[in-house]
Amino acid sequence: MTTRTSTAVPHAEYFPLERKRTFHPALLLAPRREISEIVRFWPVIANMVIQELRVRYQRSFLGFFWTLLNPILMMTVLGFVFSNLYQGRTGDNFTLYLFAGMVPWGFVQSSIGESALCFIVNEGLIKKIYIPKIVFPLTRLLINLTTLGFTLTALFLMLIPLGARPSLALFALPAALVLLAAFVLGLSLIVSTLNTFYRDCGHLVSVFLQAWYFATPIIYKPEFLPQRIRWWLVFNPAYPVVKLFQDILAGGRWPDWPTWLMAAGIAATSVGVGYATFKSQEDKLVFRL
Amino acid sequence: MPHSRVKKISWFFGSNGPSGRATIDSLPPIELRDVSLRFRSYHDKQYTLKRAALDLILRRAEPPARSEFAALSNVDLRIGAGERVGIIGGNGAGKSTLLRVLARIYPPTAGVARIRGVVAPLIEMGAGFNHELSGKENILLNGAMLGFSRKQMLEKVPGVLDFTGLNEFADLPLKYYSSGMYMRLAFAIATEVEPDVLLIDESLGVGDAAFVDKAKARIRDVMNKAKVVVVVSHDMAALRELCDRGVQLERGRIVRDGPIDETIDAYIEHVHQSHVA
Repeated sequence: MTTRTSTAVPHAEYFPLERKRTFHPALLLAPRREISEIVRFWPVIANMVIQELRVRYQRSFLGFFWTLLNPILMMTVLGFVFSNLYQGRTGDNFTLYLFAGMVPWGFVQSSIGESALCFIVNEGLIKKIYIPKIVFPLTRLLINLTTLGFTLTALFLMLIPLGARPSLALFALPAALVLLAAFVLGLSLIVSTLNTFYRDCGHLVSVFLQAWYFATPIIYKPEFLPQRIRWWLVFNPAYPVVKLFQDILAGGRWPDWPTWLMAAGIAATSVGVGYATFKSQEDKLVFRL
Repeated sequence: MPHSRVKKISWFFGSNGPSGRATIDSLPPIELRDVSLRFRSYHDKQYTLKRAALDLILRRAEPPARSEFAALSNVDLRIGAGERVGIIGGNGAGKSTLLRVLARIYPPTAGVARIRGVVAPLIEMGAGFNHELSGKENILLNGAMLGFSRKQMLEKVPGVLDFTGLNEFADLPLKYYSSGMYMRLAFAIATEVEPDVLLIDESLGVGDAAFVDKAKARIRDVMNKAKVVVVVSHDMAALRELCDRGVQLERGRIVRDGPIDETIDAYIEHVHQSHVA
Protein backbone atom coordinates (compact mmCIF):
# COMPACT_ATOMS: atom_id res chain seq x y z
CA MET A 1 0.00 0.00 0.00
CA THR A 2 1.28 3.38 -0.83
CA THR A 3 0.42 6.44 1.07
CA ARG A 4 0.52 9.70 -0.67
CA THR A 5 0.94 12.88 1.25
CA SER A 6 0.38 16.02 -0.62
CA THR A 7 1.57 19.25 0.86
CA ALA A 8 -0.49 21.29 -1.56
CA VAL A 9 -4.00 20.56 -0.53
CA PRO A 10 -6.24 21.50 -3.42
CA HIS A 11 -7.75 24.73 -2.36
CA ALA A 12 -11.29 24.86 -3.45
CA GLU A 13 -12.95 28.18 -3.16
CA TYR A 14 -16.65 27.83 -3.23
CA PHE A 15 -19.16 30.39 -3.91
CA PRO A 16 -22.61 29.95 -5.21
CA LEU A 17 -23.91 30.90 -8.59
CA GLU A 18 -25.58 34.21 -9.06
CA ARG A 19 -29.18 34.03 -8.19
CA LYS A 20 -31.30 35.39 -10.97
CA ARG A 21 -32.64 38.58 -9.53
CA THR A 22 -35.64 40.19 -10.99
CA PHE A 23 -37.03 43.24 -9.37
CA HIS A 24 -40.04 42.47 -7.31
CA PRO A 25 -42.08 45.08 -5.44
CA ALA A 26 -41.78 42.96 -2.33
CA LEU A 27 -38.09 43.87 -2.25
CA LEU A 28 -39.06 47.34 -1.13
CA LEU A 29 -40.39 45.74 2.01
CA ALA A 30 -36.97 44.33 2.86
CA PRO A 31 -36.04 47.19 5.23
CA ARG A 32 -39.32 46.75 7.06
CA ARG A 33 -38.73 43.07 7.52
CA GLU A 34 -35.19 43.83 8.59
CA ILE A 35 -36.44 46.15 11.31
CA SER A 36 -38.82 43.54 12.66
CA GLU A 37 -35.94 41.05 12.66
CA ILE A 38 -33.78 43.54 14.54
CA VAL A 39 -36.53 44.02 17.10
CA ARG A 40 -36.87 40.26 17.49
CA PHE A 41 -33.13 39.82 17.90
CA TRP A 42 -32.68 42.90 20.04
CA PRO A 43 -31.91 40.84 23.17
CA VAL A 44 -29.07 39.19 21.24
CA ILE A 45 -27.67 42.54 20.17
CA ALA A 46 -27.99 44.02 23.65
CA ASN A 47 -26.35 41.00 25.14
CA MET A 48 -23.40 41.10 22.76
CA VAL A 49 -22.89 44.83 23.31
CA ILE A 50 -23.04 44.62 27.10
CA GLN A 51 -20.81 41.59 27.14
CA GLU A 52 -18.15 43.21 24.99
CA LEU A 53 -18.17 46.41 27.03
CA ARG A 54 -17.92 44.45 30.23
CA VAL A 55 -14.94 42.46 29.00
CA ARG A 56 -13.30 45.62 27.75
CA TYR A 57 -13.61 47.56 30.96
CA GLN A 58 -14.04 45.13 33.79
CA ARG A 59 -10.70 43.44 33.74
CA SER A 60 -8.49 46.48 34.00
CA PHE A 61 -9.02 48.97 36.75
CA LEU A 62 -8.06 51.88 34.55
CA GLY A 63 -9.92 50.39 31.59
CA PHE A 64 -11.94 53.39 30.64
CA PHE A 65 -9.07 55.74 31.31
CA TRP A 66 -7.00 54.11 28.56
CA THR A 67 -9.56 54.99 25.96
CA LEU A 68 -9.30 58.61 27.09
CA LEU A 69 -5.54 58.63 27.16
CA ASN A 70 -5.05 58.60 23.43
CA PRO A 71 -7.24 61.62 22.64
CA ILE A 72 -5.81 63.48 25.65
CA LEU A 73 -2.23 62.96 24.51
CA MET A 74 -3.03 63.85 20.95
CA MET A 75 -4.88 66.95 22.01
CA THR A 76 -2.02 68.09 24.23
CA VAL A 77 0.64 67.56 21.60
CA LEU A 78 -1.33 68.97 18.71
CA GLY A 79 -2.64 71.85 20.77
CA PHE A 80 0.92 72.78 21.68
CA VAL A 81 2.40 72.32 18.22
CA PHE A 82 -0.33 74.05 16.31
CA SER A 83 -0.75 77.01 18.60
CA ASN A 84 2.96 77.64 18.10
CA LEU A 85 2.81 76.94 14.40
CA TYR A 86 -0.15 79.19 13.72
CA GLN A 87 0.71 81.78 16.28
CA GLY A 88 -2.39 83.64 17.20
CA ARG A 89 -4.37 82.33 14.27
CA THR A 90 -5.71 79.29 16.05
CA GLY A 91 -8.22 81.21 18.10
CA ASP A 92 -8.83 80.88 21.79
CA ASN A 93 -10.04 77.37 22.26
CA PHE A 94 -8.07 75.36 19.78
CA THR A 95 -7.73 72.44 22.18
CA LEU A 96 -11.49 72.36 22.44
CA TYR A 97 -11.73 72.42 18.66
CA LEU A 98 -9.32 69.48 18.41
CA PHE A 99 -11.37 67.57 20.94
CA ALA A 100 -14.64 68.25 19.11
CA GLY A 101 -13.28 66.81 15.88
CA MET A 102 -10.99 64.07 17.09
CA VAL A 103 -13.40 62.24 19.36
CA PRO A 104 -16.11 61.74 16.69
CA TRP A 105 -13.43 60.79 14.21
CA GLY A 106 -12.07 58.22 16.61
CA PHE A 107 -15.54 56.71 16.55
CA VAL A 108 -15.61 56.70 12.74
CA GLN A 109 -12.22 55.07 12.56
CA SER A 110 -12.76 52.38 15.17
CA SER A 111 -16.29 51.41 14.12
CA ILE A 112 -15.43 51.08 10.46
CA GLY A 113 -12.13 49.40 11.19
CA GLU A 114 -13.72 46.87 13.54
CA SER A 115 -16.68 46.20 11.30
CA ALA A 116 -14.34 44.91 8.58
CA LEU A 117 -13.95 41.67 10.50
CA CYS A 118 -17.37 41.46 12.09
CA PHE A 119 -18.71 38.63 9.95
CA ILE A 120 -15.43 36.77 9.83
CA VAL A 121 -14.89 36.58 13.58
CA ASN A 122 -18.48 35.44 14.08
CA GLU A 123 -18.12 32.59 11.62
CA GLY A 124 -18.83 30.05 14.35
CA LEU A 125 -22.14 31.67 15.07
CA ILE A 126 -23.21 32.35 11.50
CA LYS A 127 -22.57 28.79 10.39
CA LYS A 128 -24.32 27.17 13.31
CA ILE A 129 -27.46 29.11 13.91
CA TYR A 130 -29.67 31.53 12.05
CA ILE A 131 -29.10 35.15 12.98
CA PRO A 132 -29.90 38.10 10.73
CA LYS A 133 -26.48 39.18 9.54
CA ILE A 134 -27.11 42.85 10.15
CA VAL A 135 -26.84 42.12 13.86
CA PHE A 136 -23.06 42.04 13.64
CA PRO A 137 -22.31 45.46 12.08
CA LEU A 138 -25.01 46.91 14.29
CA THR A 139 -23.37 45.47 17.38
CA ARG A 140 -20.00 46.97 16.43
CA LEU A 141 -21.68 50.32 15.90
CA LEU A 142 -23.48 50.27 19.23
CA ILE A 143 -20.38 49.27 21.16
CA ASN A 144 -18.42 52.14 19.69
CA LEU A 145 -21.31 54.52 20.11
CA THR A 146 -21.43 53.77 23.82
CA THR A 147 -17.70 54.36 24.13
CA LEU A 148 -18.11 57.58 22.20
CA GLY A 149 -20.78 58.73 24.63
CA PHE A 150 -18.55 58.09 27.62
CA THR A 151 -15.51 59.68 26.01
CA LEU A 152 -17.39 62.79 24.95
CA THR A 153 -18.81 63.31 28.41
CA ALA A 154 -15.59 62.66 30.27
CA LEU A 155 -13.43 64.82 28.03
CA PHE A 156 -15.93 67.63 27.94
CA LEU A 157 -15.90 67.77 31.72
CA MET A 158 -12.12 67.66 31.79
CA LEU A 159 -11.94 70.53 29.33
CA ILE A 160 -14.02 72.90 31.42
CA PRO A 161 -10.86 74.61 32.70
CA LEU A 162 -9.83 75.15 29.08
CA GLY A 163 -13.05 76.87 28.14
CA ALA A 164 -15.60 74.13 27.57
CA ARG A 165 -18.91 75.61 28.61
CA PRO A 166 -22.27 73.87 28.66
CA SER A 167 -24.53 75.77 26.32
CA LEU A 168 -27.96 75.45 24.80
CA ALA A 169 -26.31 74.11 21.67
CA LEU A 170 -25.63 70.87 23.52
CA PHE A 171 -29.27 69.99 22.95
CA ALA A 172 -28.38 69.53 19.29
CA LEU A 173 -25.87 66.84 20.21
CA PRO A 174 -28.26 63.84 20.08
CA ALA A 175 -29.29 64.76 16.55
CA ALA A 176 -25.66 65.09 15.52
CA LEU A 177 -24.90 61.71 17.08
CA VAL A 178 -27.75 60.09 15.15
CA LEU A 179 -26.45 61.49 11.87
CA LEU A 180 -22.90 60.42 12.68
CA ALA A 181 -24.07 56.92 13.60
CA ALA A 182 -26.08 56.62 10.37
CA PHE A 183 -23.12 57.83 8.32
CA VAL A 184 -20.85 55.27 9.97
CA LEU A 185 -23.39 52.42 9.78
CA GLY A 186 -23.63 52.79 6.01
CA LEU A 187 -19.87 52.72 5.58
CA SER A 188 -19.56 49.82 8.03
CA LEU A 189 -22.05 47.79 6.03
CA ILE A 190 -20.07 48.36 2.85
CA VAL A 191 -16.72 47.59 4.46
CA SER A 192 -17.92 44.51 6.33
CA THR A 193 -19.53 43.05 3.21
CA LEU A 194 -16.59 43.81 0.95
CA ASN A 195 -14.04 42.52 3.40
CA THR A 196 -15.82 39.21 3.73
CA PHE A 197 -15.52 38.69 -0.01
CA TYR A 198 -12.09 40.21 -0.46
CA ARG A 199 -10.06 39.80 2.68
CA ASP A 200 -7.47 42.36 1.58
CA CYS A 201 -9.97 45.19 1.89
CA GLY A 202 -9.43 45.62 5.59
CA HIS A 203 -5.88 46.84 5.09
CA LEU A 204 -6.88 49.27 2.38
CA VAL A 205 -9.60 50.63 4.60
CA SER A 206 -7.28 51.52 7.46
CA VAL A 207 -4.96 53.35 5.08
CA PHE A 208 -7.88 55.10 3.48
CA LEU A 209 -9.30 56.17 6.83
CA GLN A 210 -5.94 57.62 7.84
CA ALA A 211 -5.80 59.68 4.66
CA TRP A 212 -9.38 60.78 5.16
CA TYR A 213 -8.51 61.93 8.67
CA PHE A 214 -5.92 64.32 7.32
CA ALA A 215 -8.16 65.47 4.49
CA THR A 216 -10.82 66.53 6.95
CA PRO A 217 -10.43 69.68 9.06
CA ILE A 218 -9.96 67.95 12.37
CA ILE A 219 -6.46 68.80 13.49
CA TYR A 220 -6.58 72.06 11.57
CA LYS A 221 -9.23 74.62 10.84
CA PRO A 222 -10.43 75.10 7.28
CA GLU A 223 -9.12 78.66 7.45
CA PHE A 224 -5.58 77.31 7.73
CA LEU A 225 -5.83 75.84 4.25
CA PRO A 226 -4.67 77.99 1.34
CA GLN A 227 -7.62 79.55 -0.46
CA ARG A 228 -7.03 77.64 -3.68
CA ILE A 229 -7.51 74.20 -2.16
CA ARG A 230 -10.07 75.06 0.49
CA TRP A 231 -13.03 74.56 -1.88
CA TRP A 232 -12.04 70.90 -2.16
CA LEU A 233 -13.66 70.42 1.22
CA VAL A 234 -17.01 70.46 -0.56
CA PHE A 235 -16.20 66.98 -1.80
CA ASN A 236 -15.42 65.63 1.63
CA PRO A 237 -18.58 63.87 2.83
CA ALA A 238 -17.22 63.57 6.36
CA TYR A 239 -16.76 67.30 6.81
CA PRO A 240 -20.39 68.40 7.40
CA VAL A 241 -20.85 65.61 9.92
CA VAL A 242 -17.68 66.49 11.80
CA LYS A 243 -18.48 70.20 11.57
CA LEU A 244 -21.71 69.60 13.47
CA PHE A 245 -19.68 68.46 16.45
CA GLN A 246 -17.14 71.25 16.13
CA ASP A 247 -19.90 73.85 16.08
CA ILE A 248 -21.80 72.35 18.97
CA LEU A 249 -18.95 71.36 21.28
CA ALA A 250 -16.23 73.87 20.50
CA GLY A 251 -18.20 76.78 19.11
CA GLY A 252 -21.06 76.46 21.55
CA ARG A 253 -23.43 77.45 18.77
CA TRP A 254 -26.25 75.79 16.87
CA PRO A 255 -24.89 74.57 13.52
CA ASP A 256 -26.39 76.41 10.54
CA TRP A 257 -29.07 74.78 8.42
CA PRO A 258 -26.92 74.08 5.33
CA THR A 259 -24.60 72.00 7.52
CA TRP A 260 -27.51 70.11 9.04
CA LEU A 261 -29.04 69.43 5.64
CA MET A 262 -25.79 68.32 4.07
CA ALA A 263 -24.99 66.05 7.02
CA ALA A 264 -28.48 64.54 6.90
CA GLY A 265 -28.24 63.99 3.15
CA ILE A 266 -24.86 62.36 3.47
CA ALA A 267 -25.99 60.14 6.34
CA ALA A 268 -29.07 59.03 4.42
CA THR A 269 -27.07 58.30 1.28
CA SER A 270 -24.53 56.35 3.27
CA VAL A 271 -27.16 54.19 4.96
CA GLY A 272 -29.00 53.65 1.68
CA VAL A 273 -25.97 52.62 -0.33
CA GLY A 274 -24.55 50.59 2.52
CA TYR A 275 -27.76 48.73 3.13
CA ALA A 276 -28.27 47.98 -0.56
CA THR A 277 -24.70 46.66 -0.84
CA PHE A 278 -25.12 44.51 2.21
CA LYS A 279 -28.55 43.21 1.29
CA SER A 280 -27.56 42.26 -2.23
CA GLN A 281 -24.75 40.08 -0.89
CA GLU A 282 -26.25 38.95 2.40
CA ASP A 283 -27.20 35.49 1.19
CA LYS A 284 -23.72 34.77 -0.07
CA LEU A 285 -21.92 35.81 3.09
CA VAL A 286 -22.25 32.46 4.83
CA PHE A 287 -20.51 30.73 1.94
CA ARG A 288 -17.56 33.09 2.00
CA LEU A 289 -16.57 32.59 5.60
CA MET B 1 -47.41 13.50 -3.97
CA PRO B 2 -46.69 10.05 -2.63
CA HIS B 3 -46.66 11.08 0.98
CA SER B 4 -49.92 12.94 1.17
CA ARG B 5 -51.67 9.99 2.73
CA VAL B 6 -49.06 9.72 5.45
CA LYS B 7 -49.58 13.31 6.32
CA LYS B 8 -53.31 12.84 6.66
CA ILE B 9 -52.81 10.00 9.06
CA SER B 10 -50.43 11.85 11.30
CA TRP B 11 -52.83 14.74 11.32
CA PHE B 12 -55.21 12.62 13.23
CA PHE B 13 -52.87 10.52 15.25
CA GLY B 14 -50.18 13.05 16.01
CA SER B 15 -49.86 13.31 19.75
CA ASN B 16 -50.09 17.07 19.77
CA GLY B 17 -52.74 17.63 17.20
CA PRO B 18 -53.05 21.04 15.66
CA SER B 19 -56.65 21.48 16.74
CA GLY B 20 -57.58 25.05 17.49
CA ARG B 21 -54.76 26.61 15.50
CA ALA B 22 -56.13 25.80 12.11
CA THR B 23 -55.25 29.14 10.52
CA ILE B 24 -51.53 28.75 11.06
CA ASP B 25 -51.53 25.04 10.55
CA SER B 26 -53.21 25.24 7.21
CA LEU B 27 -49.82 26.33 5.94
CA PRO B 28 -47.18 23.64 6.12
CA PRO B 29 -44.39 24.60 8.54
CA ILE B 30 -41.78 23.58 5.99
CA GLU B 31 -42.13 24.22 2.31
CA LEU B 32 -39.21 23.85 -0.09
CA ARG B 33 -39.96 24.54 -3.70
CA ASP B 34 -37.36 23.56 -6.27
CA VAL B 35 -34.55 24.38 -3.86
CA SER B 36 -31.00 24.09 -5.13
CA LEU B 37 -27.71 24.87 -3.54
CA ARG B 38 -24.93 24.95 -6.08
CA PHE B 39 -21.30 25.75 -5.58
CA ARG B 40 -18.66 26.49 -8.09
CA SER B 41 -15.20 25.55 -7.24
CA TYR B 42 -12.14 27.24 -8.53
CA HIS B 43 -9.13 25.15 -7.84
CA ASP B 44 -5.73 26.63 -7.13
CA LYS B 45 -6.86 30.23 -7.20
CA GLN B 46 -8.67 32.34 -4.74
CA TYR B 47 -10.99 35.01 -5.85
CA THR B 48 -9.10 38.01 -4.55
CA LEU B 49 -9.61 41.71 -4.81
CA LYS B 50 -6.69 41.90 -7.19
CA ARG B 51 -8.22 39.38 -9.49
CA ALA B 52 -11.64 41.00 -9.30
CA ALA B 53 -10.10 44.36 -10.19
CA LEU B 54 -8.15 42.89 -13.09
CA ASP B 55 -11.22 41.11 -14.37
CA LEU B 56 -13.11 44.35 -14.23
CA ILE B 57 -10.43 46.46 -15.88
CA LEU B 58 -9.53 43.98 -18.58
CA ARG B 59 -13.20 43.19 -19.06
CA ARG B 60 -12.45 39.55 -18.65
CA ALA B 61 -15.34 37.27 -18.12
CA GLU B 62 -15.31 35.41 -14.86
CA PRO B 63 -12.93 32.51 -15.21
CA PRO B 64 -14.59 29.23 -16.10
CA ALA B 65 -15.21 27.20 -13.02
CA ARG B 66 -13.34 23.95 -12.80
CA SER B 67 -16.28 22.15 -11.47
CA GLU B 68 -19.78 22.80 -10.41
CA PHE B 69 -21.10 21.03 -7.48
CA ALA B 70 -24.68 20.81 -6.39
CA ALA B 71 -25.10 20.12 -2.72
CA LEU B 72 -28.83 20.11 -3.27
CA SER B 73 -30.64 20.15 -6.56
CA ASN B 74 -34.31 20.73 -7.23
CA VAL B 75 -35.51 19.61 -3.86
CA ASP B 76 -39.25 19.79 -3.40
CA LEU B 77 -40.32 19.07 0.10
CA ARG B 78 -43.44 19.92 2.02
CA ILE B 79 -43.62 18.88 5.59
CA GLY B 80 -46.97 19.38 7.23
CA ALA B 81 -47.74 19.80 10.88
CA GLY B 82 -47.48 16.59 12.83
CA GLU B 83 -44.99 14.85 10.56
CA ARG B 84 -41.81 13.25 11.83
CA VAL B 85 -39.39 12.94 8.98
CA GLY B 86 -36.23 10.86 8.89
CA ILE B 87 -33.62 11.78 6.28
CA ILE B 88 -31.33 9.02 5.12
CA GLY B 89 -28.62 8.69 2.54
CA GLY B 90 -24.93 7.97 2.17
CA ASN B 91 -22.15 10.30 3.18
CA GLY B 92 -22.19 13.46 1.12
CA ALA B 93 -25.73 12.94 -0.06
CA GLY B 94 -26.69 16.38 1.22
CA LYS B 95 -28.45 15.43 4.42
CA SER B 96 -26.73 17.92 6.66
CA THR B 97 -26.90 20.61 4.00
CA LEU B 98 -30.64 20.09 3.78
CA LEU B 99 -30.89 20.41 7.52
CA ARG B 100 -28.94 23.67 7.38
CA VAL B 101 -31.27 25.01 4.73
CA LEU B 102 -34.19 24.12 6.98
CA ALA B 103 -32.47 25.93 9.85
CA ARG B 104 -32.10 28.99 7.57
CA ILE B 105 -28.33 28.91 7.94
CA TYR B 106 -27.78 28.33 4.22
CA PRO B 107 -29.97 30.36 1.91
CA PRO B 108 -30.75 28.36 -1.23
CA THR B 109 -29.14 29.57 -4.45
CA ALA B 110 -32.33 28.82 -6.34
CA GLY B 111 -35.86 28.08 -5.37
CA VAL B 112 -37.89 29.11 -2.38
CA ALA B 113 -37.55 27.88 1.17
CA ARG B 114 -40.31 28.79 3.59
CA ILE B 115 -39.93 27.81 7.18
CA ARG B 116 -42.60 28.97 9.57
CA GLY B 117 -42.37 29.13 13.34
CA VAL B 118 -39.62 28.74 15.91
CA VAL B 119 -36.88 26.46 14.65
CA ALA B 120 -34.62 24.74 17.14
CA PRO B 121 -31.58 23.29 15.43
CA LEU B 122 -29.87 20.48 17.29
CA ILE B 123 -27.29 20.49 14.57
CA GLU B 124 -24.25 21.57 16.43
CA MET B 125 -24.18 21.60 20.15
CA GLY B 126 -23.55 24.89 21.83
CA ALA B 127 -24.11 27.11 18.84
CA GLY B 128 -24.11 30.67 20.03
CA PHE B 129 -22.71 30.09 23.48
CA ASN B 130 -20.58 32.79 24.96
CA HIS B 131 -17.78 31.38 27.05
CA GLU B 132 -17.37 34.45 29.20
CA LEU B 133 -20.96 34.34 30.36
CA SER B 134 -22.36 32.20 33.12
CA GLY B 135 -24.50 29.18 32.42
CA LYS B 136 -27.64 31.04 33.32
CA GLU B 137 -26.84 34.01 31.12
CA ASN B 138 -26.12 31.64 28.27
CA ILE B 139 -29.54 30.13 28.65
CA LEU B 140 -31.03 33.58 28.21
CA LEU B 141 -28.74 34.43 25.29
CA ASN B 142 -29.42 31.18 23.49
CA GLY B 143 -33.12 31.60 24.01
CA ALA B 144 -32.91 35.05 22.48
CA MET B 145 -31.23 33.58 19.43
CA LEU B 146 -34.07 31.12 19.09
CA GLY B 147 -36.49 34.02 19.20
CA PHE B 148 -37.71 34.04 22.77
CA SER B 149 -37.93 37.11 24.93
CA ARG B 150 -35.97 37.43 28.13
CA LYS B 151 -39.12 37.09 30.16
CA GLN B 152 -40.15 33.88 28.43
CA MET B 153 -36.69 32.46 28.93
CA LEU B 154 -36.45 33.44 32.59
CA GLU B 155 -39.37 31.12 33.21
CA LYS B 156 -37.52 28.30 31.51
CA VAL B 157 -34.21 28.72 33.35
CA PRO B 158 -35.12 26.55 36.37
CA GLY B 159 -36.37 23.81 34.07
CA VAL B 160 -33.13 23.76 32.10
CA LEU B 161 -30.96 23.78 35.20
CA ASP B 162 -32.96 21.05 36.88
CA PHE B 163 -32.78 18.84 33.84
CA THR B 164 -29.04 19.21 33.46
CA GLY B 165 -28.35 19.02 37.18
CA LEU B 166 -26.14 22.07 36.86
CA ASN B 167 -27.90 24.16 39.47
CA GLU B 168 -24.78 24.78 41.53
CA PHE B 169 -22.82 25.85 38.45
CA ALA B 170 -25.44 28.24 37.13
CA ASP B 171 -23.36 31.33 37.87
CA LEU B 172 -20.04 29.90 36.75
CA PRO B 173 -18.68 31.20 33.44
CA LEU B 174 -19.08 28.66 30.70
CA LYS B 175 -15.36 28.39 30.07
CA TYR B 176 -14.97 26.50 33.34
CA TYR B 177 -17.55 23.90 32.34
CA SER B 178 -16.44 20.41 31.43
CA SER B 179 -17.33 19.32 27.93
CA GLY B 180 -20.01 17.04 29.31
CA MET B 181 -21.63 19.87 31.24
CA TYR B 182 -21.44 22.02 28.16
CA MET B 183 -23.19 19.46 26.01
CA ARG B 184 -25.87 18.85 28.57
CA LEU B 185 -26.61 22.54 28.82
CA ALA B 186 -26.82 22.95 25.04
CA PHE B 187 -29.08 19.97 24.72
CA ALA B 188 -31.34 21.06 27.55
CA ILE B 189 -31.82 24.55 26.13
CA ALA B 190 -32.67 23.36 22.65
CA THR B 191 -35.20 20.91 24.01
CA GLU B 192 -36.69 23.13 26.71
CA VAL B 193 -37.92 25.83 24.35
CA GLU B 194 -40.67 23.73 22.74
CA PRO B 195 -39.99 24.67 19.15
CA ASP B 196 -42.38 24.41 16.25
CA VAL B 197 -39.72 22.80 14.10
CA LEU B 198 -37.08 20.58 15.66
CA LEU B 199 -34.06 19.62 13.57
CA ILE B 200 -31.81 16.88 14.84
CA ASP B 201 -28.50 15.82 13.32
CA GLU B 202 -27.47 12.59 15.05
CA SER B 203 -25.90 14.42 17.87
CA LEU B 204 -27.10 12.46 20.76
CA GLY B 205 -23.74 11.81 22.36
CA VAL B 206 -24.67 14.02 25.23
CA GLY B 207 -22.92 12.67 28.27
CA ASP B 208 -22.78 9.70 30.59
CA ALA B 209 -25.09 6.73 30.40
CA ALA B 210 -27.54 8.10 32.90
CA PHE B 211 -27.89 11.29 30.93
CA VAL B 212 -28.25 9.51 27.61
CA ASP B 213 -31.35 7.73 28.87
CA LYS B 214 -32.71 11.00 30.15
CA ALA B 215 -31.89 12.64 26.83
CA LYS B 216 -33.66 9.96 24.82
CA ALA B 217 -36.77 10.30 26.91
CA ARG B 218 -36.63 14.05 26.54
CA ILE B 219 -36.13 13.95 22.79
CA ARG B 220 -39.23 11.83 22.54
CA ASP B 221 -41.07 14.30 24.73
CA VAL B 222 -40.04 17.28 22.62
CA MET B 223 -40.79 15.39 19.45
CA ASN B 224 -44.29 14.91 20.70
CA LYS B 225 -44.67 18.61 21.36
CA ALA B 226 -43.04 19.98 18.24
CA LYS B 227 -45.13 20.39 15.13
CA VAL B 228 -42.44 19.09 12.85
CA VAL B 229 -39.38 16.99 13.55
CA VAL B 230 -36.67 16.30 11.02
CA VAL B 231 -34.00 13.78 11.98
CA VAL B 232 -30.83 12.99 10.11
CA SER B 233 -29.30 9.74 11.18
CA HIS B 234 -27.60 6.55 10.13
CA ASP B 235 -29.27 4.66 12.92
CA MET B 236 -32.06 2.95 11.01
CA ALA B 237 -33.60 1.31 14.05
CA ALA B 238 -33.94 4.66 15.79
CA LEU B 239 -35.43 6.23 12.68
CA ARG B 240 -38.00 3.50 12.30
CA GLU B 241 -38.98 4.05 15.88
CA LEU B 242 -39.07 7.86 15.84
CA CYS B 243 -40.29 8.82 12.39
CA ASP B 244 -43.25 8.13 10.21
CA ARG B 245 -41.96 9.47 6.92
CA GLY B 246 -38.65 8.73 5.26
CA VAL B 247 -36.83 10.82 2.70
CA GLN B 248 -33.81 9.41 0.95
CA LEU B 249 -31.26 11.73 -0.56
CA GLU B 250 -28.68 10.85 -3.13
CA ARG B 251 -26.27 13.41 -4.55
CA GLY B 252 -28.46 16.25 -3.42
CA ARG B 253 -31.66 14.90 -4.90
CA ILE B 254 -34.64 13.33 -3.24
CA VAL B 255 -34.79 9.84 -4.68
CA ARG B 256 -37.39 8.36 -2.41
CA ASP B 257 -40.08 9.79 -0.20
CA GLY B 258 -42.65 7.73 1.59
CA PRO B 259 -43.48 5.88 4.77
CA ILE B 260 -40.34 5.38 6.82
CA ASP B 261 -40.25 1.57 6.67
CA GLU B 262 -40.57 1.46 2.90
CA THR B 263 -37.87 4.06 2.41
CA ILE B 264 -35.45 2.36 4.76
CA ASP B 265 -36.06 -1.10 3.28
CA ALA B 266 -35.51 0.21 -0.21
CA TYR B 267 -32.40 2.08 0.90
CA ILE B 268 -30.89 -0.95 2.60
CA GLU B 269 -31.60 -3.10 -0.41
CA HIS B 270 -30.00 -0.50 -2.66
CA VAL B 271 -26.90 -0.37 -0.47
CA HIS B 272 -26.61 -4.16 -0.47
CA GLN B 273 -26.92 -4.34 -4.22
CA SER B 274 -24.21 -1.79 -4.81
CA HIS B 275 -21.98 -3.72 -2.41
CA VAL B 276 -22.45 -6.93 -4.30
CA ALA B 277 -21.90 -5.29 -7.65
